[in-house]
Amino acid sequence: MKLLQMEHICKSFDGVPVLKDVSFSVEKGEVHALLGENGAGKSTLMNVLTGISPKDSGTVAFEGQVCDSMTIHKSEKMGIAFVHQELNLFNDLKVYENIFLAKEYTNKFGKLDKKRMRKEAGELFERLGVKIDPDAMAGDLKTSQKQLLEIAKALFFHAKLLILDEPTTSLNNEEVAHFFEIIRRLKKDGASFIFISHKMPEIFALSDRYTVFRNGEYVNSGKIAETTPEEVTKMMVGESYSAEDVYEPREAGDTVLEVKEFSGAGFRKVNLTVKRGQIIGLTGLQGAGSSEFMQGLFGAARGTEGELLVFGKSIPKNSIHKAMKSKVAMLASNRKENSVLADMSLLENMYLAEHTLSALKFHIHKKEEDRAFTSYRELLNIKMQDSSQPVTSLSGGNQQKVFLARWLNTKAEILLLDNPTQGIDVGAKTEIYKLILGLAREGKTILINTLEIPEIQKVADYCAVFYEGSIVKLLRHEEISETAVMLYATGSAR
Amino acid sequence: MDMETKKLSLSGSSGIVSKYSYIVVFLIIFAVYAATSSSLTWSGVMNIFRHSAIIGIIALGMGLICLTGEIDLSVGSMLAMVSGFSVVIYNITGSIFAAFLFAVAFGGFCGLINGILVGGAEMPAFIVTLATMLIFRSISQYVCQKLPKELIGGGSSIYKLFTQKSSFQAFYQIGNGKAATLPYVGLILALMTVLFVYLSTSTKYGKKVYAIGSNQKGAVMTGINVPVTKISVFVIAGMLVGLGAFLWIAMNASADPATTGTSYEMYAIAAVVLGGISMSGGKGRVLGILFGAMSYTIIDKIIVALKMDSLINDAIKGVILLAVIMIQLEGSKIKGRLKRRTNEV
Repeated sequence: MKLLQMEHICKSFDGVPVLKDVSFSVEKGEVHALLGENGAGKSTLMNVLTGISPKDSGTVAFEGQVCDSMTIHKSEKMGIAFVHQELNLFNDLKVYENIFLAKEYTNKFGKLDKKRMRKEAGELFERLGVKIDPDAMAGDLKTSQKQLLEIAKALFFHAKLLILDEPTTSLNNEEVAHFFEIIRRLKKDGASFIFISHKMPEIFALSDRYTVFRNGEYVNSGKIAETTPEEVTKMMVGESYSAEDVYEPREAGDTVLEVKEFSGAGFRKVNLTVKRGQIIGLTGLQGAGSSEFMQGLFGAARGTEGELLVFGKSIPKNSIHKAMKSKVAMLASNRKENSVLADMSLLENMYLAEHTLSALKFHIHKKEEDRAFTSYRELLNIKMQDSSQPVTSLSGGNQQKVFLARWLNTKAEILLLDNPTQGIDVGAKTEIYKLILGLAREGKTILINTLEIPEIQKVADYCAVFYEGSIVKLLRHEEISETAVMLYATGSAR
Repeated sequence: MDMETKKLSLSGSSGIVSKYSYIVVFLIIFAVYAATSSSLTWSGVMNIFRHSAIIGIIALGMGLICLTGEIDLSVGSMLAMVSGFSVVIYNITGSIFAAFLFAVAFGGFCGLINGILVGGAEMPAFIVTLATMLIFRSISQYVCQKLPKELIGGGSSIYKLFTQKSSFQAFYQIGNGKAATLPYVGLILALMTVLFVYLSTSTKYGKKVYAIGSNQKGAVMTGINVPVTKISVFVIAGMLVGLGAFLWIAMNASADPATTGTSYEMYAIAAVVLGGISMSGGKGRVLGILFGAMSYTIIDKIIVALKMDSLINDAIKGVILLAVIMIQLEGSKIKGRLKRRTNEV
C-alpha cells in the first residue's frame, strides 16, 4: 500500500491554474524527489498536502485514509511534517523549548516539566547522532544545526512523512553528507521523505524515486537508478535544455583589481590580482571566508587591514558608496533580504543604485530611465510585462536579472556576484552563466562566489579556493574539478 | 507569462479602491458634513482648508518619517517650543522675516537632534521622540516662566506677540488674510503638498526614502546612506514643524506652552495613516496626507454643526481611524474569506 496517494489534483489562484490534474504518490520508507523548475507547482502541491491552501478538486489519501478538507492541524496529526526552506525557529528560545513549543509537558499545576523535556530532547539528539545541546539558544546554532533541529522537531512528534524543501541550501558539503546519513538512517526506521531540491548530485545521491512537474503538469516519475541527471533535467525544462559547455577562453586585459594582504571580519591576508575581462570563482567550505571577503571588497563587511587597488588607485575600505564610485558593484546573496525592495516597481528597483551616484541631479527623468530599462530588458532577456509592475511579481531568475541590470546601470567595471544563482531554476541558471560570460567578453571583470563547484567550472577562468579565511590555491580553468577544489577547501592539500 | 499578466490585472482592478481609499473616506466625511451643516458655503469650505493648514504641514513631515519606517512623537511639543521662541524673536527684532527664519531653522535643529539619535545612533525612534517630546514641552514652559515679561508680550504663562510693533498687522494678516477668498495658510498647505508630492514621486531623494522603508538592509546594499537619509528626513520634518509654528503665531498672535500642539503628534500620525501610508514604511502616497488632515478638520466642523459636546470629538476621530484601518488591512482578508465560503457552497 502506498503511504501517500494524491490523484487528479487541480488548483488555481484567481482563475489561473497552477496545478492541472496532477498525481503524486510516495511509498513507505522511500525518499521521493519532487522535481521541477520554480513555478512548476511543487510548493503549491505541498501546500495542498499540508492544508496550507485548499485544493479545488482531486483526492488525497494518507495511509489509505481519504481526507477531504485538509487543515494544517489535521496534517500534523496524521504525521505529515513540512520542514520549511526558511527555518521557523524561535531564536530567543532554547533548543528544547523550540521542540516542545505549544506541546510542553507540564505537571498537574500547569508548571513546565523542564527536566523531562530536556532529557527527552537529549535522547532524541543522541538517537539521531546530532550534536546539539538542548539548553543552547536556538539563535546560537549554526544553520546546519538549525536545519537538523527542524527535522528533529518533526520526528519527535512521530512524523511519518517529512517534506524537505531545499534543506541543503545553507549547508556545506560536509554537513550535507552528515545530513544525508541521518536521513538514510531514518529511512531504514520506516520514515518517508519528499525531497525538493535543485541540486542534481544530491538528488541522485539520496533519492529512491522521482516525480517531475513542469508548468503545473505531471511529466514523469520513476526510479532514480534508471535515469540520469541529463534526462531528468531535460524533463524539467522541456526541449529547450542543452548541457552544452558555455565556456570559451578569452584574452585578459590589464590589471584592474589588486588586493594586498586584505584582512577583515572572517577573512585574513587575502592576496589577489585580477585582470580586465577575467572571471574569478571564489569558493571554499561554508564559513571559509570567500563570501565575507567579497563583502569586504564592496565595503559591506568590515575590512581592517591591507590595501585595495582598483584601476591602480587605492580605495577606502568599509564604504559601499566609495566602492561604487570606483566602479565596483556587488550582486548580494540572499536576494530577498539584500536586494529586493518589495514595495517598489521593477524600474525603481533598477535605478536606485545609480541614483546614489548621481544624487545631486535631483529630478528623475522617467522617460530616460525607462529607455535604459528597456535596453537592459533586451540585453538580459528579462521576462516581464511592464516596468511599473512590482518586483515581487517576477520569478527568482528574472528578479536576479533586474538586480544585475541595477548594477550594470551604475556603469560598474568590476562585478562581484555573491551566490548569483541561489534559488534559481535550471533553465534560468544556464542563461545567467551565458550572461556572465557575455559580460566578461565585453570587458567587465567578474568575481563570482559560490559553493557550487560545477558553476565555477562552467564560467571561471580561475578558481580561488578559500580555507580558514585565506586563499590557499588558485586553480586554472582546466584544473577546476570537484575533487581538486575539495582537496584545498578541506585543507587536505596546500 | 500569461499567468503573470492575469494576476496583475486582477490585483490592479481591486487595488484602485484601496489605493485611493483616502479620497473615499474624505468624500464620505465631507458628505456627512454637507448634510449636517445648515448651509454649506464657500467660506465654510475654505475654513476647513484654513484649519487643516498646520496639522497638514506637520503631517507631511510625519509622512516622510513614516515612509522610512520611523515615527516622531515630538512634533506637538516641538510646535509649542518653536512657536513660543519665535514669538520672543519677533518681540525682540520686530521682523516677520527673522521670526520665520528662526522658526524654520530652530525646527530643523530640533529635528536634527531626533535624527542623529534615531538615524545616527540607531536608537528606537519611539523612545527617542517620546523623550524629546517631554523635553521640548518642559523647556518651553520653563523658559516662559523665567523670561522677562516684556519679551513674552506682557503675559504671565503665555508667549504673546507685541501688538505695538509696526509689522504686527502684516504678520497677523499672513495667518488670517485671504487672497481672492482663499486663505493664505491654506495656500501654503497646498503649495507644501505639491512640493512634497513632487519630492516623493519624482526625485531621487524621495525614492531613497521609500527604499529604506521597504527594505533597510536592501537599501544599504544598494549604496544608500541610510543614517544620513534618516537624519535628513527628521530635519525636514522639523523644518515643517517650524513652518507650522510660524503660521500658528501668525494665526493666533500667541503660543501657550502648556496647550499649543498637544496631541498634534497623534493627529499627524492619524492623518498619515488615514492617507494610506503604512506605519512599517515603504508604502503609501504623500497626497493622501492632505486628505487625511482635512478629513479630521471636517469632523471638528460636523461636531460643531450638530451642537455636540466637543469633548466627544476625539472619541469619534478614534473610531473613524479604527474603521479605516480595519478596511485597509482586513479588507482583503475578509474578501478572501467570503470567496472561500462561496467556493465551498
